[in-house]
Amino acid sequence: MTRPRILIVEDEADIRRFVRLALEREEMTVFEASTAAQARIDAGTRRPDLLIVDLGLPDYDGKTLIREVRTWSAAPTLVLSARDHEEEKVSALDAGADDYLVKPFGVPELLARVRAQLRRSSLLSAAGQASSTVRFGKVEVNLATHETWRDSEPVHLTPIEFRLLSALIRGRGKVLTHKQLLNEVWGSGYADRPHYLRIYMSHLRQKLEDDPIQPKHLMTELQVGYRIAGI
Amino acid sequence: MLKTLVRPLLWTTLCCIVTTIAAGFLLKIFDLSNVVMLFLINVVFISLTFGRTAGIWACILGVGCFDFFFVPPQFFFAVSDVQYIFTFLLMVIVALVTSELAVKLRREVRFAKASADRATALARVASDLSGAVTIDQIEAVCRETLAPLFTATAVLLTPDRSDQLGGAGDTAGLDLSAAQRAYDRPPRSGGLLTPDAASGVLYLPLAGPMATRGVLALRLQPPQTAIDRDDRVLLDACCASIALALERIHFADVAQETQIRVEGERLRNALLAAVSHDLRTPLTAIRGLADTLANPGGLSADEQMLMAGSIRSQSEELQRLIGNLLDAARLQGDGVFLRREWHALGEIVGIALERSRPAIGPREVRIDLSDDVPLIEIDSVLFDRVLENILNNAAKYTEPTATIFIRSVVADGDIEIRIEDNGTRFPLTETDVLFEPFTRGPHESTIHGVGLGLFLCRRIVEAHGGVLRAFPRRPNGACFEIRLPRGEPPQIEREGETAA
Repeated sequence: MTRPRILIVEDEADIRRFVRLALEREEMTVFEASTAAQARIDAGTRRPDLLIVDLGLPDYDGKTLIREVRTWSAAPTLVLSARDHEEEKVSALDAGADDYLVKPFGVPELLARVRAQLRRSSLLSAAGQASSTVRFGKVEVNLATHETWRDSEPVHLTPIEFRLLSALIRGRGKVLTHKQLLNEVWGSGYADRPHYLRIYMSHLRQKLEDDPIQPKHLMTELQVGYRIAGI
Repeated sequence: MLKTLVRPLLWTTLCCIVTTIAAGFLLKIFDLSNVVMLFLINVVFISLTFGRTAGIWACILGVGCFDFFFVPPQFFFAVSDVQYIFTFLLMVIVALVTSELAVKLRREVRFAKASADRATALARVASDLSGAVTIDQIEAVCRETLAPLFTATAVLLTPDRSDQLGGAGDTAGLDLSAAQRAYDRPPRSGGLLTPDAASGVLYLPLAGPMATRGVLALRLQPPQTAIDRDDRVLLDACCASIALALERIHFADVAQETQIRVEGERLRNALLAAVSHDLRTPLTAIRGLADTLANPGGLSADEQMLMAGSIRSQSEELQRLIGNLLDAARLQGDGVFLRREWHALGEIVGIALERSRPAIGPREVRIDLSDDVPLIEIDSVLFDRVLENILNNAAKYTEPTATIFIRSVVADGDIEIRIEDNGTRFPLTETDVLFEPFTRGPHESTIHGVGLGLFLCRRIVEAHGGVLRAFPRRPNGACFEIRLPRGEPPQIEREGETAA
């Protein structure tokens, strides 16, 4: 397998340095850009497999960069953001980013996210289409027949519950924002009703998780959205 | 006008007829010179009751009747005896003097009554104003108590911070620039009081002892060109009362602002002291460890790993402190802005537990959330901080073998969330002091962290309209209780339970 190519867009040299060291140790090729303008050029010439983009860039908005790159590249994008930029984070995800890390973050966390994104994109490009049966933990879902089993026992899901579950599965490895999920499951008229999402997520957890309060698979991203883990 | 003149004259005529008939009967017993007294009394009575014009009319009628019916030659107006001329003259003089006195008396009575009315009105305005603690209440007194006294509508105009007048009430139809002129250059008191020519509105500056506090716009109904002297006195007195009330509120506000500033200053100082201690500790450790790692001669690989681990945990501690400080700063600022949404309590508890997992370590956590609490309206980020801080606290002050309980129930329309532990290290007394910023339990020397956490929790819960209490748990441990109003959860459209 060829070495994955990663582009880091971050204006702080020390952060670039430790991210680079950590990724190079994982046999990845790393390119650095300190401004959005440079990143735009590098994204075109270096053809990275994954982008790590800081939202607080000096020249222009990281969001704009993500939206631009998204128009011609399917490479997964990992966003770095500070805690007080919650709305920025959500709009970056809506603009096409796949996941985010909140500063300060640790190296193990960073590596886990990068690996997950690379795995997902290679899976998607290799298989072309994912198989219709998906397993996570004790749960098995058949996306074609709309059947769900837990511990080999069939589980009864309502149509909306199943639509929500399959939206999460389709976006595996990604953080799906409230807006994206509401749009996909209920339609555009429900964008301002995140409580629907919360109620149905709790139903899904009751039916599929061992401990609904401390879920292992149907994970909450506070103020952002949800993700499915462990597939 | 005609009616007010005709009615007394009709009454007077009637009285004269009655007197004449009565005199006719009395004449059979008494002398004529005595009977004339009856007519005199009639004149005095009429003058007192109906005033001068009626008095003179009574006099003329009385003399006429007396002459016509009783003085010989009877049924003729001719007077034979000269002494009756004297009687007529006397009656006219008595009528005039009496009516003059009566009129004067009546005027004085009316005047005294008007003064009493004004005094009562002023007292009512003053007492209403004394109860007013906001400008809106003063405005209401002007509109409801003062304006009716002058059959007018009143609008109170008060200056904003840049000394520009604005009205709390309906300012339509008012000439604000004329009001501003009256406010900026109040006319000398006692000056002529004339309504604004264009709008027909009186602009009365409200001069308090220290400064002009506003302008009262008074629109007289029906429009008048001027206001009379007595009303003017009352109006001036009312304006002075309003100005005093406004000044009182102004200084109360100033005092409150000062107190808030002093309180803020005290907090800031305490914060600086705490920050310099609690932030420097991890920073010193990080710096020392990094310096040591930079020159690792003589250190084993294990030791180097341990040091790197310490740097990591110290920076995590720093991150937590900074998070609390940022939230505290956000909550101390003017107006807490909450991003309230309807959240599932279980989800928030789950997140807080996951985040406090490193601190909780081996302690057992038992969760019992009521199914009656499907959704609560909270700012999830801030509320998560509350739960995290309380859980961290519970972990900090308990042995690793302790158990932490998280329960929720619905009580009296409130949602009650209790986080309890059965540890023995929690300070049991003075639980309210815990919520003061920068207070720590007795284990200060061994457990560190700015005592900002619980203070922050209380501020956040209060910003949600709730209450946070802490009390000792029997037989040992501590209990933190969050009470939140339940609110009106949004309706969820139910979907048909058909199989997928």
